[in-house]
Amino acid sequence: MDKLKTGISILALVYCTLCQAQCDSINDSSASHFNLKLSYNSSIIYPGLSIGIEFPLYYVNVQVLKNQKIVRYFTKGRFISGNLNWYHHPDFHDNLYLTAEWVMRRTRFTGFISEFSVGPGFSRTFLGGTTYKVDDNGNVSVIKLAGYNYALITIGGGFGYDFSMKKQLPFSAVAKMNLISMFPYNSTIYFRPVLELGIRYTPGRSKNKVSNPLQYQNKNERSIFL
Amino acid sequence: MREVFFFSLLLLLPGCQKEKITISENVSETFYVENAGASMRVLVQGNTASKTFILFIHGGPGVSSYFYDTKYISQNIGDKYAIVYWDQRNAGASQGTSNGGNLHLDQMVEDLKKVIEVLKFRYGQDMSLFLLGHSFGGLIAADFITRPGYQNMIKGIIDVDGSHNYPLNDTLTRQALLTEGNYQVSQKRNVDEWQPIISYCNTHQGNFSLEESQQLETYSTEAENYIDSIKHINIVNLVLKYTIPDKIPLTAILCNFLYTEDSNFNKELAVAQFSTSLNIVTIPVLVLWGKYDFTCPQALGEDFFNRINSIDKSMVISPKSGHNMMFQDKKFFCDNVNEFVLNHK
Repeated sequence: MDKLKTGISILALVYCTLCQAQCDSINDSSASHFNLKLSYNSSIIYPGLSIGIEFPLYYVNVQVLKNQKIVRYFTKGRFISGNLNWYHHPDFHDNLYLTAEWVMRRTRFTGFISEFSVGPGFSRTFLGGTTYKVDDNGNVSVIKLAGYNYALITIGGGFGYDFSMKKQLPFSAVAKMNLISMFPYNSTIYFRPVLELGIRYTPGRSKNKVSNPLQYQNKNERSIFL
Repeated sequence: MREVFFFSLLLLLPGCQKEKITISENVSETFYVENAGASMRVLVQGNTASKTFILFIHGGPGVSSYFYDTKYISQNIGDKYAIVYWDQRNAGASQGTSNGGNLHLDQMVEDLKKVIEVLKFRYGQDMSLFLLGHSFGGLIAADFITRPGYQNMIKGIIDVDGSHNYPLNDTLTRQALLTEGNYQVSQKRNVDEWQPIISYCNTHQGNFSLEESQQLETYSTEAENYIDSIKHINIVNLVLKYTIPDKIPLTAILCNFLYTEDSNFNKELAVAQFSTSLNIVTIPVLVLWGKYDFTCPQALGEDFFNRINSIDKSMVISPKSGHNMMFQDKKFFCDNVNEFVLNHK
């Protein structure tokens, strides 16, 4: 019985190893760098701005090999980001909101980026006009900095291009659509689509230019070909 | 650099709330009135120099005053008088947090009173103010003018296809659908469309539940499409036309509408009526109605008209309008409103 258990364990280990051999993970030194983000943060026609910083939690280069040839090559990263965002909807409100996001990003060898993010946040709105209050005696007064605090959840996805993959530029350009939901908003949930168009700067990234994935593997000497 | 950015932002945000009161012939300014957990948007447009204001009380509940702000109304009423578009609580661009517990008719009437007080604070106590209630707005208006002393705050009231008595409204809607439906079928017009409506009305004869009441309302809106002589409104086109120029927060309107439409507030409304207290009304009244309004049938307008004690009152029927006269017979609407206001300001 013990032999059987040991056998199964060995088989499981071998199986896992074989599976892992299909994917080569190479630690990228550039991954330890944080990213800075600056975006135009708009809702259709209403302007806004978003600034943020993101830190990598996990970052691997993945090669999918078949018959000793690379059929696909991409980097896969998980980041945590903090963002300060603002948009201005005239006569409605200005919304200043902080978000902390979990970001999943995939960057292809060509430089094409696709990403998905989700996270909680906090919103503070400022009403889009003078706000008055009337007391029981009919006296009218102006409320300064009138607005509301809301809990917020953001979910989004986008595409972009990483210029460091082909050229020695530590930048990425990204277009991302976020859906923010604020609550409790009039006892319900307020949804708002927000489009982000921005650039991401990775300090020190240009030194790790990758011109060819095969060359990159040889340099690191950590490739496994089946 | 970052500190400069944050500092600039903090300086800019309060700037949006700087008090701006304009007295001129072509004004467009927005302010908010905060009351019981809701900050309600108020847009003042048109000729504030006239010192005459018409406050629109929108329908719904849960719709928005944005949709009444059309180019035609601006050019044909706004050129003479100032128009006030008020978004009720939990509607349109009105904002707040957990305020659903305050969504009551009583609260809305108090909101209206406060909006009027702010208007007078901004534009002068000597202003002439008229209320214009449409559909559900007619219920708020009826509640307002039947409260002791409240009618003295305004110069007159315009009731446009308004409902001052919800239980009576349901009964009259059923009757109007049956009468018109049978007539249309006898003329062999849209027979297939009218049959289910007639059948529903025949099987539901009174003591309507909230669901029945809502079904009657759905049928009454639908029935307008089967009358050839009235202008049909394309809401989608209307929204697309005005969303960008009017800076309409579409998702906020939608979220508010869905919440309000499904709230317990509707149960309260289902039994709301002011027929018995309308006799205290003595201010000038104009009643405007669409001949083909099934949502609030003409007989409802007649009930309102007959019960008020105003000496100066008139009721005018548009022969080619349904429930939304301001869009379906806009010239008729503007001409009558202008004439009434001119005579009583």
